[in-house]
Amino acid sequence: MIGLIICFLLMLLLHIFTPFWWWIMIVPFVYSLLKAKSGWEGFRIGMFSAGLLWLIMSVYAYLTGSKTIAARISQMFQLEIPWLTIIVTVLVAAIAAGISGMAGYSIKTLLRR
Amino acid sequence: MKWVRAFLLLLVTAAVFWILNNPHGIIPPMGKLFNPFAGFWQNSNKSDKIVEEIVLPELQDIVHVVWDVRRVPHIFAKNDHDLYFAQGYITAKDRLWQMEFQTHSVAGRLSEIVGKRALEYDRFQRRIGMVYAAENSVRALNENQESKAVITAYTSGVNAYIKSLSKKELPLEYKILDYFPETWTVIKSALLLKYMAWDLTGSSSDYIMTQTREALGDSVMEQLFPYYPPFMNPVVPTGVSWDFKSNMDQKQREEYINIHRVNTNSKESQYGKGSNNWAVSGNLTKSGYPILCNDPHLGLNLPSIWYEIQLISPDVNAYGVSLPGAPAVIIGFNSEIAWGLTNAGSDVLDWYKIKFKDSTRKEYFYDGEWHETKLRVEEIKVRGEKTVLDTVCYTRHGPVVYHEGEEPFYNNIPAGSAMRWAAHDPSNELQTFHMLNRAKSYEDYLEALRFYDCPGQNLVFADKSGDIAIWHNGKFPLRWKGQGRYLLDGSNLDDEWKDWVPREHNPHVKNPDRGFVSSANQIPADSDYPYYLGWDYVSFERGTRINELLSAMKDITPEDMIEMQSDVMNLRARMLFPRLLDILRAKSLTPEEKQSYEELKNWNCKNRAELIAPTIFEYFWQELCERIWNDDMNTDSGSLKRPNSEVTIDLILNQPECPYFDDKTTADKETLDDLAYQAFQSANKKLTEEFGSIGQAWVWGKTRGTDIRHVAQIPGLGRINLETNGNSYIINAISKYFGPSWRMVVTLGPEVRAWGICPGGQSGNPGSRFYDNAVDDWIKGKAYELLYLKSPDEENPDIAGKTKLRGVK
Repeated sequence: MIGLIICFLLMLLLHIFTPFWWWIMIVPFVYSLLKAKSGWEGFRIGMFSAGLLWLIMSVYAYLTGSKTIAARISQMFQLEIPWLTIIVTVLVAAIAAGISGMAGYSIKTLLRR
Repeated sequence: MKWVRAFLLLLVTAAVFWILNNPHGIIPPMGKLFNPFAGFWQNSNKSDKIVEEIVLPELQDIVHVVWDVRRVPHIFAKNDHDLYFAQGYITAKDRLWQMEFQTHSVAGRLSEIVGKRALEYDRFQRRIGMVYAAENSVRALNENQESKAVITAYTSGVNAYIKSLSKKELPLEYKILDYFPETWTVIKSALLLKYMAWDLTGSSSDYIMTQTREALGDSVMEQLFPYYPPFMNPVVPTGVSWDFKSNMDQKQREEYINIHRVNTNSKESQYGKGSNNWAVSGNLTKSGYPILCNDPHLGLNLPSIWYEIQLISPDVNAYGVSLPGAPAVIIGFNSEIAWGLTNAGSDVLDWYKIKFKDSTRKEYFYDGEWHETKLRVEEIKVRGEKTVLDTVCYTRHGPVVYHEGEEPFYNNIPAGSAMRWAAHDPSNELQTFHMLNRAKSYEDYLEALRFYDCPGQNLVFADKSGDIAIWHNGKFPLRWKGQGRYLLDGSNLDDEWKDWVPREHNPHVKNPDRGFVSSANQIPADSDYPYYLGWDYVSFERGTRINELLSAMKDITPEDMIEMQSDVMNLRARMLFPRLLDILRAKSLTPEEKQSYEELKNWNCKNRAELIAPTIFEYFWQELCERIWNDDMNTDSGSLKRPNSEVTIDLILNQPECPYFDDKTTADKETLDDLAYQAFQSANKKLTEEFGSIGQAWVWGKTRGTDIRHVAQIPGLGRINLETNGNSYIINAISKYFGPSWRMVVTLGPEVRAWGICPGGQSGNPGSRFYDNAVDDWIKGKAYELLYLKSPDEENPDIAGKTKLRGVK
C-alpha cells in the first residue's frame, strides 16, 4: 500500500513538472528494483499506481473541458463512445507500468546474490 | 533461469516502451498521446478561454485584441508592425499546426512527418518546383520595402507564439503525428501562396488533349472542344467594346507535335473548384448603395482554410478572411470598399516536349542549338529512413517533371516534358492584398491589382461612392490562338511565351449598363476580345443562373443576396428536361421506372438534400454521358478527354442528328432517344442496387453526402456524410469534397454592414467548441452578421472579451 502511494505521488509530481509520459514506466521500475518483494508485487504496484493516477487525471480532464476532444479521439479509434478513451488511457498506464514494475523486480533478483 | 527471466522481462518492457513511444503507420504514439498530463487530454476547450494579458517583448506599443462571440479577433494596433506581428501571433495561436502542415505539404516535406508513404507525393511537389517558385516569390517580396516589413513582422509574431509553446500545449495533430513545430520563415508564407496557385491553376489537360487530337483530328476538336463554348455568358458582358488590338498573330497553328499517351496507374487529379462573385450597383439595391458578394469554392477541410479577422491600425481597418500563414485580409472589406475573388481559369501552365542530347540530360535542344540544363538536387528527408536525393532538371521553360519511363504521380503529367508555369516567376501578390486592405476608391483598387500575377482571379469590386467593377486580373501569357491547348515543342522558339497580355488589356468592366458585374469561373470575354487566354473554362450553368437572377431583381437587400448564395436551381436539369422527359414519356417503363419518371416530372429542378429527384437526375445524366461518349472516347491506350457538359447539352438540345449519339460498338444505329431510354433504365437499376427500391434512401443529401475532411485526413477530426443541398455547377456549389469555403455579403454605405460564414470555425483545436461550430448553419445557408468595430472600447453584446498584448514596459 505504501509502495503504491509513493509511486503514485512521485509520478504525479514528475508528470506535473515535465511533459514525459514514460515516468509511469521509470517510477515503478525503480521502486520495484529497490523495494518489491516479488515480481507480481512490482506488477501490481505499477499497474494500480499508474492506472489510478491516469484514471483520476483523465476523468478530471473529461469533466473539465476535454469531453469534446475525447469524443473526437474515440471516433479516431472508431470507439464511438467518448468515455472509452478513459478506459484506453487506464489500460495504457496499467500495462506499461505493470510490466516495468515486474521487470524492475527481476533485475533486483540478479543483484541480490 | 532468473537471468533469462530478467532478460525477457527487460525485453518486453523495452518493447512496450518502444510501441507506446512511437507512431506505427497510422497508429499514433499511444503513451504520449494518452498521457493525461500532456497528451490529447490537454487539448481541451480551455483554449477558448480569453487570456487578459500577454507580454510580447517585440511589440512597440500596446495591442488590443477584441474577441467576439464567434472567436473572431479584432486586432487594434498603434502601428503596422504591431498589427502584423499580432496577426501572426494570434493566427498561430489558433491555427499553428494547419499553417505548418500545409507549408510542409507544399514544400514536399511530408515524408519527414509520416515516413515513406508520402515519398512519391513529396517527389512530385519538388519536381513541379514549388520551393523554387516560393524562393522567387521571397525575392520579389524582399524587393518591396512595404511587403518586406509586413511579412517580417508577421513572421516574428508566429515565432513569438511558437517559442511560448510548451509540450502539453502543442496542437493535437503534433501529438498524433509525433513531431514538433519548427521556426516560421518568410518562405513558408510564400509556399502557402504557391499552394493556392497550384490549387487553382495546376489542373492541366494539355496532355490528354494532345492524344485526343491525335485520335479525332482537328475538325472534331473544334466541334467538341470549342474555343467559344455554347451557351456562353462571359464575365464581361457581350457588347462591351474593346479599344485595343492584340499585336499577336492570331492565326491558328496547323501542326503540333505528336505524342503517344501512355496509360499509367497514377491517379486522376481531382477537380471541383470554382467560385461565385458579384456586385450590384446602387440602382438595383434598396439602400441605394452597392452590395458585393463572394463565395470561393475550395476543398472542404477542417480546420477551415480561412481565418476570419479584423485588422485595425491608424492606416487600415479591414475585415474579412485571411489565409492562416499569410498576413493581411485576402477577401473582405473596409469602410469604403469591398472586394472578392473567383478563379480566373485562364491558362498559365503549358508543357514543352524536351529533346535531350543523351541520357545524362545535361543538354537539351532549343532553337537549333544544344543548351545546358540546370540541375537542382532536392533532399527529401524520410522519417525513420535514409534521406532520398532527387535531381530535378530545369530547362529555360521550367522543370522537367517526369522523365520518359518514370511513372507520373498524376496521370495528366506528360513524361519528358518541361513545365512552363506563371507561378514560377517572381511575384508579390501579398502587396495587392496589403493595398486592397487600405484602398478607398476604384483608383486604389486598380493600383493594387498591378502587383497581382498568379493565380489569376476575377477580382470583383464595389465602393461607397457607387462604383462596381470586375477585372480578370493576373499575368497572362501572350499567346497565339490555341497555344498551350496541346503539348508544345520545347525546341521551337515560336512555341515559347514571349510576353504578357498588357495588364490594362485584361478583360474588365466598370459600371456596366445592366447594373451588376459577376463571375463564376466562366470564359472571361466573348469572341470580340482581342487576346486568346485559354479555352477550358468552367461550364456556363452557375454564371448564367447568377446573371438570370440578378437581371430580374430590384430593391435588392443583403438578405436577398444571402438567399441567392444558397440558390439551388439546377439549370442543367431545367434546360434538358423538356427534351429528355419528352423522350421518356413515349417509352414503356416498369412501375418503378414510372415512379422515378414521375419524381422527375414533378420536380422543380432544385437540388435540395431532402428530394429524390436530384439523385435520379444526376445518375441519369451520368449514365447518359457514359452512353454518348464511352464508345467515341475510349481507345486502346486509354480514354480520351470527354467534352465539357455544355457541349453535351448543346448536342442534345440542338444537334439531335449528330453522329456521337450512335453507339459505335453496335451494328444498329442508335439515336438520342435510344440512349436516353437506356440511360434512364440503367440509372434506376444502379440506384436500386445501391440504395434499395425507390424511397427515402434515394434522397440527394444521403446518396451524395458531403465530407469536410481533416487537413491531414485524420479520421474523427472531420465532419462527414453531411446532408447538403446544391452541386458543383449550381450557385450553392456544395459537392462531395468541395464547396463555398466562405460566403460573404457586404453592403456599402455610410456604415458598412456585412454577413459571412465558413464551413468550420475559428479554432484549429479539435477540442474547442469553435472548431466546427458553424458547419450546421453553413449547411442551412445561414450567414452571421460580421462585427465591424472602430474602437477597442466599443460596447457590443457580441463581444466576448479582450486580450491586451504589450511589450515589456
